Amino acid sequence: MAATSADAKKVTLTTSDNADLTVEREVAERSILIKNLLEDIGDNGDAIPIPNVNEAVMKKVLEWCEQHRKDPPASQDDDADSRKKSTDIDEWDQKFMQVDQEMLFEIILAANYLDIKALLDVGCKTVANMIKGKSPDEIRKTFNIQNDFTPEEEDQIRRENEWAEDR
Amino acid sequence: MATKSNFKRAVPPVVQPSVLASLRTAQLVEDSKAILPAELIATILDYLPIPDMFSFARTSKRMQEMVYDDTRWIQRLKSMGCWNEVEARQRFEEAMRRKIESQRAKEAEVAARTGAGINGGIHGIARGGDEERKISVTLFDAGLEEDMQRKSLDRKVRPRAATLDKGFDDMTLSPAGNSASPQASTQNPGAALKILSRVRSIRGLARQEYGKIYGALSPYYFDLARSRSHTDPVLFRTYRDPEQQAQMLSQLKTFSKSDFAQGWSQREEKLDTMMGIFENAVLREFEQGNESKDLDGRMKRYAQVLVTLNGGAAGVDSFIHNHRLMLEKENLGNPTDCLRNTGPSQISLQPSHDFFEGLATTLNEEAAVIDRVFPTAIDVLQPFLERVGEDVISEYITTLFDEAHDVSIEAYLKAVAGVFEQALQLAISLKPTKGSQSNFEDEVFRIISRCFEPHIDLYLQEELDFFKRKSVAEVEAWEKRLSEEEQTTETFFMANVNRQAAKRDFLTSFKKVVMMPVNVLPTFGGASSSKPTTVIPGVNASTLETNSRSSTPIPGERPASPRPEAPTSELAAKAAIMNSRLEGIRSLFSIEVALNLSHTAKASLERAARFVRLGGQSGEEAKEQCENIFMSLLQILGDRHMKPGFDKAVNHLSAYKPREVVDHSKEGVAPLVAFLELVNVGDLIQQMVDVFYIQELVAANLTDRDDFVSQALKQKKRFEQMLDERVAAGLNKGIDVLMDEVEYLCGTTQTPTDFNPTAGSNGIVEMSDIGPSHTALKVIEIVSSHTNMLVGSTDKNVLDVFNQEVGLRLFTALCKHLKRQRISVDGAIKLISDMNAYNTYIVSLRNKSLTEYFAALRELSQIYLIDPNHAKEIATIIADSDRYHGIFRAEEVYEFAERRADWYQIKPQVERQMYGVGCLVM
Repeated sequence: MAATSADAKKVTLTTSDNADLTVEREVAERSILIKNLLEDIGDNGDAIPIPNVNEAVMKKVLEWCEQHRKDPPASQDDDADSRKKSTDIDEWDQKFMQVDQEMLFEIILAANYLDIKALLDVGCKTVANMIKGKSPDEIRKTFNIQNDFTPEEEDQIRRENEWAEDR
Repeated sequence: MATKSNFKRAVPPVVQPSVLASLRTAQLVEDSKAILPAELIATILDYLPIPDMFSFARTSKRMQEMVYDDTRWIQRLKSMGCWNEVEARQRFEEAMRRKIESQRAKEAEVAARTGAGINGGIHGIARGGDEERKISVTLFDAGLEEDMQRKSLDRKVRPRAATLDKGFDDMTLSPAGNSASPQASTQNPGAALKILSRVRSIRGLARQEYGKIYGALSPYYFDLARSRSHTDPVLFRTYRDPEQQAQMLSQLKTFSKSDFAQGWSQREEKLDTMMGIFENAVLREFEQGNESKDLDGRMKRYAQVLVTLNGGAAGVDSFIHNHRLMLEKENLGNPTDCLRNTGPSQISLQPSHDFFEGLATTLNEEAAVIDRVFPTAIDVLQPFLERVGEDVISEYITTLFDEAHDVSIEAYLKAVAGVFEQALQLAISLKPTKGSQSNFEDEVFRIISRCFEPHIDLYLQEELDFFKRKSVAEVEAWEKRLSEEEQTTETFFMANVNRQAAKRDFLTSFKKVVMMPVNVLPTFGGASSSKPTTVIPGVNASTLETNSRSSTPIPGERPASPRPEAPTSELAAKAAIMNSRLEGIRSLFSIEVALNLSHTAKASLERAARFVRLGGQSGEEAKEQCENIFMSLLQILGDRHMKPGFDKAVNHLSAYKPREVVDHSKEGVAPLVAFLELVNVGDLIQQMVDVFYIQELVAANLTDRDDFVSQALKQKKRFEQMLDERVAAGLNKGIDVLMDEVEYLCGTTQTPTDFNPTAGSNGIVEMSDIGPSHTALKVIEIVSSHTNMLVGSTDKNVLDVFNQEVGLRLFTALCKHLKRQRISVDGAIKLISDMNAYNTYIVSLRNKSLTEYFAALRELSQIYLIDPNHAKEIATIIADSDRYHGIFRAEEVYEFAERRADWYQIKPQVERQMYGVGCLVM
């Protein structure tokens, strides 16, 4: 970590499994968490511990950050409308998200923790796409959800919301 | 913690159920919850299409809870603008109130809830028994259940819920049928038309409310998004009426705002395309209607359709754009007409008057058409007027002003102010339509103002420059004329004229003229009349009422002629009389010039003042410029005109040497007379300026007379101060001159025999007459005539000071004069007469200290009357200082006594008496 301190442009991140990753500061600052940290403590060259993310996920996240380093910073006002304005997933992100489900969830969690809104959005959209068009059973299977409904109860929900069916 | 995840790889994201089938264990559920916290699931839900949301809800209770969360649905309603927080709060509070009431009535809340459950159940069964197909019953139950969960509603709410229930019967029909076949959606298309307006804001029921909308609109929405051509969508087949189609499209547009799922942008785009196609079709119909002038038929109908669709902006645009006013604006009038057929550098505003008149007529006709064609929901007239302002009026005035500017500045100034007035008249004469906003008049005014704004800066600058140039030219012309003429010293004495009366008379006329609007602008009639389309032709007296200075016209004196000559003719005559009276100061300055200047200033001010009404920055600038005009008036009038005049007069005064003037036959001292006249005229002009200031600037609200930082007021003060200074300086010199004259008179006309008459042949002095001597009369006359001239023209204080100074100097002069005379006892009578005459005159001045001086002098003169035999008495009188009010000391009186003709004969006696007595006393 001390080796990189000479280069002010770089920061070192220490993941949960004690791996040190050195990236350009601009890339790391896609994460609002890291950005605020750097602003608060000042760039003294010390490694920044990221205790909630392991090396594999961190690398993946940084890959995304690298790709999106030039994106305009996310607007701070995340009201209902900014969600509405979110666009569909672009091609690169689609490819990027072609990972196993475990990794996908890890990425979402990491994005949430690191406060990378755009990445979180992409992750959530990807999950939404996975859910789309599936029956409740299939969804349960996909996400390992235990069914705590009786068949009657489940049917009642269906009937309650019949208006939404078959668009 | 995340590392414990047991999820397997699932590539690609579209997961095969079979792959994950083996992973279904109870333990994994716990993990999945750990991996994705609720907030993230909620985020994911936001991206889900509605049907998938409910699939998700059916997976587990926790998921159902999340999907059913009321805020999620309120947010959707909000995104469509269908959620009314106030209404929701009212409903909620109402419910709470009922709840409290019911609590009071019932034993416990639990009991109430149980009762509600039972009632609901009964109700549900009853409804369910009625008709199997109706799902509304269960919906209602679900809603009620949720209410119970939220503990916000109570059994008492049920009557309201029941109405909701009814609404649902209607609503759920179409999607229910729709699920069977698309045609089924036609089952109840009428209800769907109004679906958005029927949404209610009820907390806890947002999902149901949204469900109604979704059920009614989503079939059309997704069908439309899928369709390939504009003939495809079910919507256009279900609804045949363009009105209904527009209504549905408009609802779909709103509905699309609540579509958060992926692909929304494509769907919305598709919808927009469809709407565009539809709009164009309707627009074509509308335009055809417009061309064929089918006002009440096609135009009206399709205008309504367009308004329903998206507010009708396209229709308004088309209407305005294709309007004949835009296409044939040349027909209204050519701006250059105003400059043709007139003399050089002249401008006629009749053509522009016609232009605005025509425009007003057309616009009011158009307002009627708009009322017939467009629904009142939209304001068509205003965008229309804005376009007219931009395209027609702006263009017209720009051309006109440019041309006028090229022709002459004066024409330009008249054009700007005149056309502005006409445009304002236009604004007043416009009638609002039914769809117009309440602030229609303000808006029209704003539109007109905006047309003029680009011209105002230049105009105001030109106005000031023009005024300055013209005024300076006026003054210079006068100076030139003067230098060409021979400088005459001929004076005309105004003695016999009642100055104050003449001035008052003149000022009254001036005031009248100042208050009269300078009617250089033919105004545009028909304003605010009940029939705006009829315009009072030409310019006549009645249009004056709408003039900017409506507060000032004096009934009966209003001139019928539009030219300014008429109102000023009376003044001009008076000015001429004044001028002839003031012939004597012709070479110094002219009241006529002052009048002309103030008249020019008035014309400029009135033109510029119109723009003050524009308000805002332009208005402020106009105001400022008005003050500037007034200030330059003062500068030019004061510094350029009056100051040199005063200076010249003062110079004349100082150059006056009585002894060098041959002719003393005239009454008065010529330069002093001239100067005093000048003071009179200066005072007159100052009063004129004051009247002008009050009438033109204060009354017209151009400036605040109490605003002590106001430049105009400062300048005015400076002007007055300048006048006062000149007057003071002149008077100082004037007194010198007057006394020189007095001394000259005393020195030249007083004969030695006046006070020392020679004895006649019989040894008795012949007294021809007992009155004052010729010299005394002359002196009194000359002094009094000059002091009288100042009465009424200067400040009372100044006059008092002047009089006192004159009196004192006269006193000194007389004392000096007396000491040069030799006075016999016989001549003393004459002297006493003289002194009495002086005293009488001085008493008439009503100046107490002066009176004492002259009383002392009179007393003093009595020492000459004492017979030489009573030398002792003379000594007593000399020593009696009380006699002279302390004005003469004994030594001085003694000096006077030396002037006795028989002094050397009585001197020893007197001295002995004086000093002897004195020693004795001592």
